[in-house]
Amino acid sequence: MSRLEAKKPSVCESKPLTSERVRATLSVLKGIVTSCYGPSGRLKQLHNGAGGHVCTTSQSSALLHSLSVTHPVLKILTASMQNHVSCFSDCGLFVAILCCNLIENVQGIDLAPTTIIELNKLLLSLCTDYLKSEACACRIPVDFSSTQILLCLVQSILTSKPACMLTRKEVDHISALVLRAFLLTIPEKAGDHIILGKSIIVPLKGQRVIDSTVLPGMLIETSEVQLIRMLPIKKSGALKVALFCVSLSGDFSDTGEGTLAVSYGVSLENAVLDQLVNLGRQLVRDHIDLVMCQKVIHPSLKQFLSSHQVIAIDRIGVTLMEPLSKMTGAQPIGSLGSVSPRSYGSVKDLRSAEFGSKRFFHLIPNEVTVSSLLLCNRNDTAWDELKLTCQTALHVLQLTIKEPFVFLGGGCTETHLAAYVRHKTLNEPGSILKHDGCTQTELQLIAEAFCSALESLAGSLEHDGEILTDRKYGHFWSVQSDSPAVVNWPDLLSRCGCGLHSSQEELSWSFLRSTHHPFVPQNCLPCEAANSASDLTVDCFTAKLSGLQVAVETANLILDLAYVIEDTN
Amino acid sequence: MVMACKVINKRRHVGLQQLSSFAKTGRTFLGPVKSSKFIIDEESHESVLISSPVRLLESLDLTSAVGQLLNEAVQAQNSTYGTGTNTLLFFVGAWSSAAEECLHLGVPIPVIVSVMSEGLSSCNEEVVSLQVPVHNLFDHVDNTNTFSGLETPSVNLYPFLQIPSDTGLIQKEHELKDVSQTMTIYSLSGRPVKSCKLFRSQAKVEADKNVLQTLQTLINSRHANTSCRKSVLIHSRHFNSTDNNQWISNPGGFLEQPGAATSKTHSCNDLVELAVGLSHGDHSSMKLVEAAVRLQYQNTCMQQGNGTTAFTFDVSRIFTCCLPGVPETYTCVCPGYITLVSISSTTLIKELKDQPVRVVLVQGDLTENYCHLGFNKSTNIKTVLESMKVNQDSAEELWANHVLQILIQFNVHLVLVQGNVSEHLNEKCMYSKRLVIGSVNGSVMQAFAEATGAIQVAYITQVNEDCVGNGVYVTFWKSIPLDIVDKKNRMAILLKTEGINLVTAVLTGPVTAQMQTKEDRFWTCAYRLYYALKEQKVFLGGGAVEFLCLSHLRIIEEKSLKKGNHACSWRLRHSSSWLASSLALYRPTVLKRLANGWHRYLSTLMYNTASYSSEFEAGTFVQQHLQKAIDSGSPSSYILNEYSELNSGVFNSGISSKLEQIPRVYDTVTPKIEAWRRALDLVLLVLQTDSEIVTGHGHTQLGSQESEGILFL
Repeated sequence: MSRLEAKKPSVCESKPLTSERVRATLSVLKGIVTSCYGPSGRLKQLHNGAGGHVCTTSQSSALLHSLSVTHPVLKILTASMQNHVSCFSDCGLFVAILCCNLIENVQGIDLAPTTIIELNKLLLSLCTDYLKSEACACRIPVDFSSTQILLCLVQSILTSKPACMLTRKEVDHISALVLRAFLLTIPEKAGDHIILGKSIIVPLKGQRVIDSTVLPGMLIETSEVQLIRMLPIKKSGALKVALFCVSLSGDFSDTGEGTLAVSYGVSLENAVLDQLVNLGRQLVRDHIDLVMCQKVIHPSLKQFLSSHQVIAIDRIGVTLMEPLSKMTGAQPIGSLGSVSPRSYGSVKDLRSAEFGSKRFFHLIPNEVTVSSLLLCNRNDTAWDELKLTCQTALHVLQLTIKEPFVFLGGGCTETHLAAYVRHKTLNEPGSILKHDGCTQTELQLIAEAFCSALESLAGSLEHDGEILTDRKYGHFWSVQSDSPAVVNWPDLLSRCGCGLHSSQEELSWSFLRSTHHPFVPQNCLPCEAANSASDLTVDCFTAKLSGLQVAVETANLILDLAYVIEDTN
Repeated sequence: MVMACKVINKRRHVGLQQLSSFAKTGRTFLGPVKSSKFIIDEESHESVLISSPVRLLESLDLTSAVGQLLNEAVQAQNSTYGTGTNTLLFFVGAWSSAAEECLHLGVPIPVIVSVMSEGLSSCNEEVVSLQVPVHNLFDHVDNTNTFSGLETPSVNLYPFLQIPSDTGLIQKEHELKDVSQTMTIYSLSGRPVKSCKLFRSQAKVEADKNVLQTLQTLINSRHANTSCRKSVLIHSRHFNSTDNNQWISNPGGFLEQPGAATSKTHSCNDLVELAVGLSHGDHSSMKLVEAAVRLQYQNTCMQQGNGTTAFTFDVSRIFTCCLPGVPETYTCVCPGYITLVSISSTTLIKELKDQPVRVVLVQGDLTENYCHLGFNKSTNIKTVLESMKVNQDSAEELWANHVLQILIQFNVHLVLVQGNVSEHLNEKCMYSKRLVIGSVNGSVMQAFAEATGAIQVAYITQVNEDCVGNGVYVTFWKSIPLDIVDKKNRMAILLKTEGINLVTAVLTGPVTAQMQTKEDRFWTCAYRLYYALKEQKVFLGGGAVEFLCLSHLRIIEEKSLKKGNHACSWRLRHSSSWLASSLALYRPTVLKRLANGWHRYLSTLMYNTASYSSEFEAGTFVQQHLQKAIDSGSPSSYILNEYSELNSGVFNSGISSKLEQIPRVYDTVTPKIEAWRRALDLVLLVLQTDSEIVTGHGHTQLGSQESEGILFL
């Protein structure tokens, strides 16, 4: 019996941003993301409150995974953050904080949303044009002939996530490993198009971080000691490989719906097993040395294969299939019928390796474009965080190859950019406004909101102190919160956020939150100086540039919301 | 889904407070004299006797996030190293209160994190000087100790008496043993609350000063009368030789020169000495482990035919077999695999005795409906009977007959099964004089596969001639088997084969409640010795490393006080930040709190070993030596020089304080350092956490008193 119920009318909320509830939840969200930001960011314990797994993190991707927000305004924000993170891995918190700041800063301004949006767009393009231009003073070209900048980039990412629980020595070790793992994915013979390989992170929890290592090729965990004892295979030349994605367990799960009637005495299991053994015979005939299966191989088939000196590795898992296929050149075989010899691949060597209490098969390819990063950390929470961070770092390195630049990190890019925008809007408003209908006063107002959004984003890096900016380069300097009013700044400050400038360079400073007198931020970036500085904090160019765009556009989208209509059925 | 976000108060850090209160519960486990705890379930009236942090945390309600993290850390340490959880738990407590004190004093969180972790790294570098190389242990292993076959000597295991067993003490031991036997009755009478008290009193026996003094006089008198002295260290060249004091008078530096002629006296190259040093008061368990190592060594020698080849102690080839209810005198280690089978197989074992049998190893279950992992049985297949030839026998009967046929065909009389075994098949096999043993550990299977040449199979139908192993002997573990029957009517049998690298430790005891503890202790000792042999180095133990850390931190604290702003000896990653300047300001404060952790460790250790009436008194003793060590300029050489004195006072249990020849106490290296690091990591992780985000249905479950300070998204 079906029951019909009258539909409830939709709920319509006008001007959602003026609602107190929306503002409150937005500020809670902002509080969460802001407090997570940077190397001294505070961690969050994510759990279900009922004894489930506890995740301690300060990463946007982990937060987003378990943050469930209810209001559509927040949903827009988290959705664009999620989108950004899935494309670039890095700068998720950057997007969220900047977006919240932009929305918050224009709340008190009595301008039509369309004007605000229009001006935000102009300011955004002013920023992106500058950041992409040669004149940009807060980016450094990456010199691929040395590892300096790339190492700095990886180190900056690792130190920005305190929940990884790494000491300085461990940061150095892991960043060297990450870089090596990445370099192994670059093919040696590069044609016009470079296709990067893959780095696979292999978990080894409970061990010391310093025990982590990188190996060329792939590691496949195994519990079967008997198989390992068959190694090494004494054979000259490469090993012939067959890769199965279909289950060889001998079951018949695809019987479809309905009941299948089988006469007494007929064993379907045996029929399938016969088919499997036939397949095994073909593999032996084709001189296969190594059979790998994504799923399970029937014990009898395994026994048959090993009696013919063929090594069978099963339960490889879906994640390793694609890199395995790429590395060996084998096509995953999806049927039990006859196998085309063209789908076979090869590896150079197969060895065994033992790390901690785990045993692995180590597949060494003919040409290395796949690397395995064996990652150790002391407990689950810290390992999960370290894994996410290393994945981010590997992704960021890939992005950096495409666009070989890095931004100055540690808040310097943001404060410098704010100084630049302020200077431009004050001195050359005409070139920004062009033919639009906005007045210079309006531009001034919104530019101030925009710049202070950038500056308080930079300020979020510091959770215990206050921020200064110098009046020459517009870089970021932090100082302890209750410093005396009149002090000798050069003694109290040591280096700026990115580490490029020292306090001994005869600069003048002012508090970031005080009133501003615009100045022309100078370009002091001799490449040599930048490259020689060993301890720079740098950020990913592509991710940050895109993050800036996403943040402004999302803020515009939210500001543009006039009504929220919800279907409550 | 509703999500709540709870802000943890800044000055009064709830997480740190939770950590230190959890950790407090484990204080009595520290040191060689442990007081056990009874944990009683109010509802089910079930109770367990525990004496290790792992078991403690298993029984506690740890639903809070911090509790979970603590449990995770302790479990991780235990599963990786098998030892060091006491240290871990203690330092979690000590350093979480240290971090909280720093917060009260207004030290910014990043400074606490930075200074504490750099302080610990600095200590880790410092304690290298107390490492003792472990070399050539097996050059001196004499074969007089050979244990052959079934005549394995028993090693007594008295749980609460952890002084070296000796003729002079037997009287005392008997008294204690009597006490423990009367206790059994209480614990079995199902009144755990009552027996709880009794157990505690028994546990406290050693802490009882009177008893201690009598023991001490016993030892002393024994010492005076050296002719009847029969020390456990009889094999040690160091403790019986006159040059014993030589290493003490030889100050610092020598420990780093292994291989030199003099270093031989300073490195540890005697297995007995090492084992005693690592026993930490639990001599009885350690004797078992030591015997197990010897058995493995002898086996390796026999296999390789040459004593000098490399030998590695393989802890994965050691097993325990617990026999609760069997007198303690039966505790021993034996080569081979000892397991429990039903007493109904007595006649079968008698038949199989004294002849080599053929063996099959089955990895899965040995039941009719078993399918290997990954095989999904289709549910929609029906078997249709076409004719009326209905078979009388059930499917299981048919299958069992088939299995039996295979066993007969290959003349197999022993089947080891990793999974379960069909009851029906088991009976059938028994009639045809074939023994089937289920639930066999994977490593045991592996060992038998190696020693007999058998190949493990998933299904019995896979068996062919190549899969069958040869030459296994099945016997009763003891000649009068029915004396040793546990409560489930099972008796112990021994499976042996030529060259099998497998050692079983049989743990027995009249008190069932203690079996778990006994087993845990055995494994703790096994892992300690395993890591010492694996790393080929140990720490000078008994608190020496902790004392060095304490004095080292005090020294750098004083240095940084004097140097003031310029004491930036540690390079920091965030050199750009204000951290660099404020570090110098706060460093002494934070280092002092960090060092207090070690101070508390040492005084608790001493208090627990009952040589001091209060922790305060113990603390004063530590303080005195600390000042001397700092004044001496080099704490590590101070420790080496004064080791015997310190050992008796600080490092040793205090029992043998009047003895001149005190056995050196050793600690494992990596497990100890890792325990510190894990403890600090956990504290810093919680310290840096400012809010809990509760996902899911937290909204409805949070009580009204809790919902204060919670924000909703």
